Amino acid sequence: MYGGDEVSAIVLDLGSHSCKAGYAGEDAPKAVLPSLVGTMDPMYLPQEPEQPAKMGVDGDNNNAVDPKTGKPVEAAAKKSTRKLYTGVQAMGYRRDHMEVVPALKDGLINDWEVVESIWDHTLRERLMIDPKEHPMLLAEPSFNTPQHREKIVELMFEKYQIPALFLAKNAVLTSFASGRATSLVVDCGGGSTTVAAVHDGYVLQKAIVRSPIGGEFLTDCMLKALEGRGIAIRPRYSFKRKEVRPGEFELTNVDFPNTTESYRRYIQRAIAADVKESVCRVPDGLFEESSYANIPTTPYELPDGQTIEVGADRFKIPDLMFNPALVQTIPGMEKFTTEAGASVKGLPQMVIESINKCDVDIRRELFSSILLAGGTAAMQQMKERLEKDLIEEAPQAARVKVLASGNAIERRFSVWIGGSILASLGSFQQMWLSKSEFEEHGASYVHRKCP
Amino acid sequence: MGAKMSGMAVTEECKEKFMELKKKKTYRYIIFKIDEKVQQIVVDKAGAPTEDYDAFAACLPESDCRYGVFDFDFTTPDNCRKSKIFFIAWSPDTSRVKSKMMYSSSKDKFKRELDGVHYELQATDPTEMDLDVIKGRAS
Repeated sequence: MYGGDEVSAIVLDLGSHSCKAGYAGEDAPKAVLPSLVGTMDPMYLPQEPEQPAKMGVDGDNNNAVDPKTGKPVEAAAKKSTRKLYTGVQAMGYRRDHMEVVPALKDGLINDWEVVESIWDHTLRERLMIDPKEHPMLLAEPSFNTPQHREKIVELMFEKYQIPALFLAKNAVLTSFASGRATSLVVDCGGGSTTVAAVHDGYVLQKAIVRSPIGGEFLTDCMLKALEGRGIAIRPRYSFKRKEVRPGEFELTNVDFPNTTESYRRYIQRAIAADVKESVCRVPDGLFEESSYANIPTTPYELPDGQTIEVGADRFKIPDLMFNPALVQTIPGMEKFTTEAGASVKGLPQMVIESINKCDVDIRRELFSSILLAGGTAAMQQMKERLEKDLIEEAPQAARVKVLASGNAIERRFSVWIGGSILASLGSFQQMWLSKSEFEEHGASYVHRKCP
Repeated sequence: MGAKMSGMAVTEECKEKFMELKKKKTYRYIIFKIDEKVQQIVVDKAGAPTEDYDAFAACLPESDCRYGVFDFDFTTPDNCRKSKIFFIAWSPDTSRVKSKMMYSSSKDKFKRELDGVHYELQATDPTEMDLDVIKGRAS
């Protein structure tokens, strides 16, 4: 047992879009940073004079030096010789040949080196703490695999030397934070949407329903839709803007031929995401091209100064959550449905599918406690639309109730906030998996302590 | 995780009062609350057998969480007198997130301590636990 509640715990929620971190007991995460890093192959790195072993041939990695540890690495471990740029600032600066690599794939950790880099940056640069001194509560996806859990535990205890740890499922944290031990959590995240039933504090694994449609998918659609209308989304680094006369600007294009495609898309996505967040609104009913043809448009000013008008797309893009088949009408995205198979369902169908996979006895209760959470859930009218669609599609006897925090911050960070409160409860302190327990029983003990 | 996620302790008084309600019918209802200072679940109020459901519902604070147990007496359509014990997790939307978290993460463990609950419901507003809901569940 770990008995130390004098030192505040750290709560980490690594999502596919962003990593949220901060102190337990606070209302919102202190640090929010992208779950992506910039990577540079060593062959493009300037050779640093202080490197002890000089490379014989240019581009030969045999004697390369790990930029983090300073230890020589073998060619076999070439992957770890790449230099990583982590955090909003380091990534905001364009570098030749820098690629952008995500930490997660399909909602699970995919690149551990990237994850470590994000954790390092978060703990040491952003929170400025020594991980040795703080117990760590990590939120994990409801569908996390046992292998992933053990690897997280090993990393945390062995690399960061943390004193204690707890893994809590996203859906459970959201459910508890809204005061319910039983609920259906609809988590519209960045990389995907997950519907999970929570019963008496446990996620019912068999009833998890997922779809790849999340905030990032909508952002991509927004980008394609704008490009399809001939609007160029110009990254800030690609032009110089000068005020020639007051209020009059002159643009000069700046060409960086060595910018990678992944970096250009990363910057363009950030712009498209802002357009999406600023103008989008979920339509009251099924989107139809004809009825939205004459809708008043909303202006948005791009970084290069051009003002665009967004009309029907304001409603069409968010409606993809409810009606994925719409993707066929977005230029450049037609391939999507065939790639993901016919299994992509809209939100209301996902909810019903998940509830139908649960025991008959609890279905009624789930229908009346549907919790909407995640960054994409912050979109206007999302809750109203989901409730309306579900009332139409749910069984007659079911009393449908969709709950979402009125506050966009609480919706976006519901998982983190749940973790923050849980870890700060006095009574929770006995629940930690301590370092000594880890040393005695090994990483698999986490399945017992944090089922 | 849920069963013992919060680690909140339950006082003997809670169990004793509940047994009295169940076996001797000395109370119509009991309201429990979490005492944050000592991290324990304690008895907040116990209502006499003569009190009714409205009196019970009125004891639940408007903007804080509670657990409640109510002994519901009713007559079935074939004139058979029955009694069912309801467990209600009261967690209004307006209560503090911390309070919601404490009550929801401790509920499963607490309910297991109370042996003999027939039905359970969670409510975030009065309409979710009005008398019709109770009648509907009991019949």
